[in-house]
Amino acid sequence: MSLWDFYARNSQEVLGLVGQHLYLVAISTGAAIAIGVPLGVLLTRRPAWRGPVLGVANVFQTVPSLALFGFLIPLPFIGGIGATTAIVALVLYALLPIVRNSYEGVAGVDPAVREAGRGMGMTDWQLLTLVELPLGFGVILAGVRVATVVSVGTATIAAAIGAGGLGVYIFRGVAVVDDTLILAGALPAALMALAADGLLGVAERRFAWRVR
Amino acid sequence: MRNGGRPRDPRAESPGSALYASCKDAPPAERALSGRGHRLSALVLSVALLLLVLPGCHRGDRIVVGSKNFTESDLLGEIVAQQIERRTALPVERRFHLGGTFVCHQAITSGQIDLYVEYTGTAYTAVLQHAPVADRDSVYRTVARDYTQRFGLVWGTPFGFNNTFAITVRHRDATRYGLKRISDLARLAPRWKAGFGYEFLERADGFRGLASVYGLRFASPPTAMDLGLTYRALAEGKVDVIAGNSTDGQIQALDLVVLEDDRQYFPPYEAAPVIRQAALTRHSGVAGALAQLAGRISDAEMRRLNALVDVEHRDIATIARDWLRATLP
Repeated sequence: MSLWDFYARNSQEVLGLVGQHLYLVAISTGAAIAIGVPLGVLLTRRPAWRGPVLGVANVFQTVPSLALFGFLIPLPFIGGIGATTAIVALVLYALLPIVRNSYEGVAGVDPAVREAGRGMGMTDWQLLTLVELPLGFGVILAGVRVATVVSVGTATIAAAIGAGGLGVYIFRGVAVVDDTLILAGALPAALMALAADGLLGVAERRFAWRVR
Repeated sequence: MRNGGRPRDPRAESPGSALYASCKDAPPAERALSGRGHRLSALVLSVALLLLVLPGCHRGDRIVVGSKNFTESDLLGEIVAQQIERRTALPVERRFHLGGTFVCHQAITSGQIDLYVEYTGTAYTAVLQHAPVADRDSVYRTVARDYTQRFGLVWGTPFGFNNTFAITVRHRDATRYGLKRISDLARLAPRWKAGFGYEFLERADGFRGLASVYGLRFASPPTAMDLGLTYRALAEGKVDVIAGNSTDGQIQALDLVVLEDDRQYFPPYEAAPVIRQAALTRHSGVAGALAQLAGRISDAEMRRLNALVDVEHRDIATIARDWLRATLP
């Protein structure tokens, strides 16, 4: 059976899985931004925490997904089987690029500009929201972009813990030696990653242009 | 670039040429590259040729053993590898933990590996796409015949155990509800949750057939998840019934019970080495070395060996060496 026949015959199911996939990526990336950006900014205020925090975020990257799921299954609230566990894992994987770029973005602001802000009598909060975050936004967005594209790919592992998504086709295809099934999952995931990269890339350029 | 470019040292033309010299049966297609100055296409072609030639070229004096990505396959792969090392002078290269039946099958048919351990029922239903049958001998005969004809692969004699799907529940539930056989499950199914691996949900000899043969109707469709995680989910009470493998070490370790397949639904899954015909012909000692392993591992023995890895976390190479020393001195 060709790939197109497969899509034609299973269009409802494909759309459902694409929807689940988008849901997993959107929720997890959203949560990773909500945690990662403030954390990255905090690190610019507490430089001593930088090593440990980035170290921990780094470690999450190296834990294989199945091992991570194994640890998460017995935990209450964030564990078990299903979408919650998958989202927790995806958030942990997405943290590193977001935290790192948020830190770099804010820390990388020209000290002279920061001094000028202080000279104008800005409070720390004003300095952050009016100077540092707008200037660092491009770098932060670049981190979000990397995290999103990686999440689209990583979200295929959600299928290992009963959370659905396009990984279902990949896992099923691998289990029964079926190239069509594997492609049926991999192709839309790849397109989704390219689309996410393209859209966020446009946003990044728009923003860089506006700052100048 | 377009008009021919600069003259170049013909030896630097393609990284493939040096390899061809050392590989006897390589085609003389190399010459086609050096005519025009399309450096890019020459590069692309040489890389493509390199990829084509490399796997065929560096072989000949060694044997590559693969395995699938679970403990038992790694363990059997290591036993086979060490047995070949012990009984022949051949160097053995290990390519273990490849991503499942699919990857192993692709690897062996394309010559990336020479040998791996496969299960008769898996080859019969998943690779050859036959409808499942329960007769052990006819499955083996069909598989052996079709593999030789279609893929140039030879099936060795099975090791002696049958690693069938094991419908597994918690020991506590088995005692409380008097569960012994899969038929006992039918009355509980409407209140229970099932979690199965993708292979089991998808295969012709998997869940759909099982459900119709035993009349199983679960409250909700079974949760599809990674096979290894199903044991965890069962032990933690997230699901109530799973389909494991009957020789898994986890079953005893996690205090689980395997229900009897009282209607003989599952086909046999006898493990046996599958080897490339070409490798058997080239290395005469290999067949003899493999034949010594025939019928040497019982179900209980396999479960014990798996538990040494999964439960006691012992080193696979050491387990294989000890086992070979004790069994085939």
